[in-house]
Amino acid sequence: MPPERQYDSLEDSSADLHDTILNQRMETSEVCRVLVVDDDDLVRARLTALLRNADFEVEAAANGEDALRILGSRHCQIVLTDWQMPDMDGLSLCRIVRAEHGESYVYVVMLTVRDSKEDLLAGLAAGADDYVVKGAPVEEILARLEVARRITHVEYSLRRSNRENRRLAVTDPLTGAYNLRYLMKHLPREMSRSQRYLHPLAVLSCDIDRFKQINDAHGHDIGDEVLRAFVARIASSIREGSDWLARVGGDEFLVVLPETDVAGANRVAQKLKKVFSHYPVSTHAGPVKFTVSIGITALEAQPEIRKFSKLEELLRAADRGLYASKTQGGNKATAVTAEELASVDRQGD
Amino acid sequence: MASNESFESLRQAFHDRMESERVHFVTLSAALARADENPQWIFEDLGYRAHRLQGGAAIFEQSAVARAAGRLENAATAAAQSRAQNTDEDVWSALEALVNLMGSTDPVRAAHSVQP
Repeated sequence: MPPERQYDSLEDSSADLHDTILNQRMETSEVCRVLVVDDDDLVRARLTALLRNADFEVEAAANGEDALRILGSRHCQIVLTDWQMPDMDGLSLCRIVRAEHGESYVYVVMLTVRDSKEDLLAGLAAGADDYVVKGAPVEEILARLEVARRITHVEYSLRRSNRENRRLAVTDPLTGAYNLRYLMKHLPREMSRSQRYLHPLAVLSCDIDRFKQINDAHGHDIGDEVLRAFVARIASSIREGSDWLARVGGDEFLVVLPETDVAGANRVAQKLKKVFSHYPVSTHAGPVKFTVSIGITALEAQPEIRKFSKLEELLRAADRGLYASKTQGGNKATAVTAEELASVDRQGD
Repeated sequence: MASNESFESLRQAFHDRMESERVHFVTLSAALARADENPQWIFEDLGYRAHRLQGGAAIFEQSAVARAAGRLENAATAAAQSRAQNTDEDVWSALEALVNLMGSTDPVRAAHSVQP
């Protein structure tokens, strides 16, 4: 692959950086989908045509069980259901929807010929949000579904806003990497898991060499672009879903590699070194070339090997490796084991 | 325009079904007349069919048919629950009204000649 092409590929990956790093799924559409549930095929067809004409997306099911299958595979904001149906009736469907589909709200409208006060109360008690008697004018049915659309839209907006707030609380706004708060919460968990199951866990402490010179030469905006590209490249070089990285300082990042021993971590470090030293990143000021220094440490799986007992020790070892790489002129990766750290500590004493 | 055509074809399909259902109701009325000993299953079948017809008629804006079908559903359900005789007046009255209404070529116009 020619170098220029590779830059493009790496830059493109920054667009979905948050997905890569945070492994989150954002809903991209606000289409309002209605699930019509009725055992009468002509009624289903009539309601489907009406709703599509009113700009709803429509799914259709002949009974409660079919409806649950559809709800299990596609999110429908609104369920418009008949009451009496073979196998599973509308009341049972309503109760199950309320019990099982808690993450995003499903607005249930019962549309039935049962018109007594007792029936209405039973429908609402089962979890229906609205109750319409068949025979109501088409305009009324559509008006009630518009209410449902408004309410589900508000609910969707709130949910999206809450999710965004949660994401921002653990994310560095500049680069999209996790922040220090996330690191301090989740790295101890990774350590506990590693120690309990005797699985290896590696950490890389990465720092851009002479980053201050980049800022001085090109300005802070370009420095920020470099940081974003730096994170994007690291994110695309580690395993999605298990490895992750956090920003711990200005240009210092920690890469967490579960299920990885020091040899594996060293391979990742060499790969990162190469990807930065060989290929500059594209910025608005043109290509910027830089190198990276890396400190490597790991909790090894073998019980006979000395372990880090505390998070601070693990971080200190990675930091010591990074410091050693820097003092050798940068563009280096240096591993520090728990034994070596203990030895240094003894000498210090 | 397309949605109007779609609605018209669905409405026609519903009218075709009403004709077919009318035949079923006539057949069931004959069976009911003969069922001196155990008419319960006929009441239940009448109730189920009437319920289904009521829902469809309501959605297709055939309110007279929907009302007549609702009346038959209530009568048939009550007769089944009370283990009534096959001569139950409420069932026969509702059944005759519904069959007459469905037999009309224009159920909407026919509704004006039937007592609700």
